Amino acid sequence: MKNIFTLLRLEFKNKFGDFSYKSGKSWAKLAGTLVFFVIILFIAYFGATTLFRMFDKAGMAYEALVLLFTILFVYLIISGTSGTIKVLYYKGDNEILMRFPVTGAQIFVSKTLFLIINQFLSTIVVTLPFIFSYANVVAVPPGYYNMVAIVIVFLVLIPFFLSNILAIPMMHLTNRIRNKFVILIIGMSVIMSLVFAVYMIVFDKIVTFLKDSSFSVFSEEVVAIIKEVVKNFIPTKYFADLLLRQNLFVSYFTLGALMVFFLAGMIAVIAKLYQKTLLKNIEVEGSAFRRKTRIRVRSLNGALLRKEFVQVFRSVNYGFQYFVMACSMPVMVYFCNKIATQIGQNDLGDQISLGLTLLVMLIFMTIITSFASTSVSREGRNFYQTKVLPVSIKRQMGIKFLMYMIVSFAANLICIGILVGTGQMDYFTGLWVLGIVQSAAITLTLFAMRFDINKPQFNLSGEGEVVSNSPNTTSAVALGFVIALLEGMIAMVLSYIATQQFVMIVCSVIAAIFLIISIISYYAGMEKAYNRIAR
Amino acid sequence: MLEISHLYKKYLNSERFAVEDLNLTLKEGEIFGFLGKNGAGKSTTIKCLTGIYPFSSGSIKICGYDIAKDPINAKLNMGYVPDDHSVYEKMTGGEYVNYIADLYRVPKKDREERLYKFLEQFRLTKAVDLQIKSYSHGMKQKICIIGALIHNPKLWVLDEPMMGLDPQSMVEILKRMREHCEAGNTIFFSSHNLDLVAKICDRAAIINDGKLHCVIDLHVKGNKETLENTFLKITAGETVSSEK
Repeated sequence: MKNIFTLLRLEFKNKFGDFSYKSGKSWAKLAGTLVFFVIILFIAYFGATTLFRMFDKAGMAYEALVLLFTILFVYLIISGTSGTIKVLYYKGDNEILMRFPVTGAQIFVSKTLFLIINQFLSTIVVTLPFIFSYANVVAVPPGYYNMVAIVIVFLVLIPFFLSNILAIPMMHLTNRIRNKFVILIIGMSVIMSLVFAVYMIVFDKIVTFLKDSSFSVFSEEVVAIIKEVVKNFIPTKYFADLLLRQNLFVSYFTLGALMVFFLAGMIAVIAKLYQKTLLKNIEVEGSAFRRKTRIRVRSLNGALLRKEFVQVFRSVNYGFQYFVMACSMPVMVYFCNKIATQIGQNDLGDQISLGLTLLVMLIFMTIITSFASTSVSREGRNFYQTKVLPVSIKRQMGIKFLMYMIVSFAANLICIGILVGTGQMDYFTGLWVLGIVQSAAITLTLFAMRFDINKPQFNLSGEGEVVSNSPNTTSAVALGFVIALLEGMIAMVLSYIATQQFVMIVCSVIAAIFLIISIISYYAGMEKAYNRIAR
Repeated sequence: MLEISHLYKKYLNSERFAVEDLNLTLKEGEIFGFLGKNGAGKSTTIKCLTGIYPFSSGSIKICGYDIAKDPINAKLNMGYVPDDHSVYEKMTGGEYVNYIADLYRVPKKDREERLYKFLEQFRLTKAVDLQIKSYSHGMKQKICIIGALIHNPKLWVLDEPMMGLDPQSMVEILKRMREHCEAGNTIFFSSHNLDLVAKICDRAAIINDGKLHCVIDLHVKGNKETLENTFLKITAGETVSSEK
């Protein structure tokens, strides 16, 4: 038992290792995180309250609660499975721990406890705003709050046990598709776009409801469909039933039986497969692929561009951060621009559209170009190779820049094509916006690359990928938002006092100034700064 | 082949020189061992001559090209094997060597010929189409060596090439070193292994606290046998600093 608690303490130390009781910085960081959490909880509370009101108007408050529990349940299964895979199977410390005088069972129990505690905390944090907001909107039965603890216990344990059963097959599946890069990028882009589209549609409905809450945003037909579908949401509707103290027998029985069933499944899987899976070292073996390599002579630029592309394309992390975001950008821009201009036009008039479109496009462009802020850091252990190669640093960085430009231009072009094609913008304005946004893309890319040249953040462990947010990325995003706000706001304000042509000239001048500054700051002492970098 | 004159290197925020007034000339067709204890300045010297670190003063010429003034030509004549076997692990072994060959402008015929020869010599033929991340420590070192040799460099620089390798891999690398040297090329390598240096090197230099203490001709009778004593005598004091 003592070993289990020592191992558990080690897990927590690994997770919160940076924290020091004596350091003011640690406390400040903790306070910042808590404030951030409180803000998020308040936003979630008010968002959920609006949502429940909207559904309540259509007589579907119960259905809304079931839908929320369903989303939560699915989220907990996904996060539980990924957490289980990371902590139980992939984490590099398994090998180290096995050398200590502790048994495999003790390692397993400590890690499982760590996962359950994590899952409990995150479930409580995520669930409470919804539970309170529901009670705020709808008259709840007496004892409603007493049931919260029981609901949370079921809500944590059922997905957790199920996650443990799903972890090994999911891991094998992930390893199988991990190297199908095209499929992965397309799949993730589709999912990302769909999630975003659904989110924006719901957001649109909420906005419509907030503007006039006297009528329901759902048609009678939609209400009938939702009610019918929600009836079949098993087991998630039983969480809502428990909370509302209805169908108590069926709810307790179903959720209890599921819990016991999944627990038994989990024990069987762990007993049979845990050790075997660990020993197989699937982390490395499963994720590597074999590909017949043809010897081909490429130009210097061609070879560098291919290497750069391969490094991003063959990484699930980078592929998601960059290609998936770029592929999903047109969908995001379409919905955001549509809703923003609708709201703007209704409240402030047509003139607002140009500035809003510029703002929306620039914000999304910022997210994509921020990837350039890891240009040097991504080299990781191979950084010194870039200095040994008989190719100038300017050319190597230039090729990285070229790749970013190809991606950003393609994304911008598609976005503008969609906006023009769907009538959100005319052809001429579209061309102008494309010019401004592409110029901002060059500006932001150059700034981001230079930030990273000045102070790269190498990750020399594991596969060497930069997974955590670096200060360079934060700076690049902040700068992008400043430029987006500046250009967007100026265009919006000016559009009420001047002609569109004048607005375009002013924005073009601002974009040109930023572009010139970025080029100068990128090249000033760039090679010297690069040569100074030591891993 | 390699000419280092009055090389000085000081790290940022450091009071003392990591390498101080280092002078060294390597001839064609020789294997040169670079000895020193941890933190003596071996890796710093190698990183300066490969272009990884800028240096404070002095000059380094590779085949007559100054690494600071004409780095591209200097690097085109050099192959480098780092001590950490860093390679692009998302590529397959073949892709990696092909990428390096592209950057060193190796004609197709030459790269095919050399690649297949090295793959066979290093017994990597079956692994060449596999992603490097699945390679063992030794395999990574071997693919690094193939990458460093694919352009048949006149100067081959290796930083602790035998570290962590099994005896079979060590023998294979030694064979390649001898072969490369017999073709009139030069090899410069750092090592902690005195026996190995005595066995294969024509000359060896000992560096201590950033200063070159001596260059020993190992063909002179008795020098091989006394190498260990000489090394221990020079490096007997406490380490003053750590190498970066």
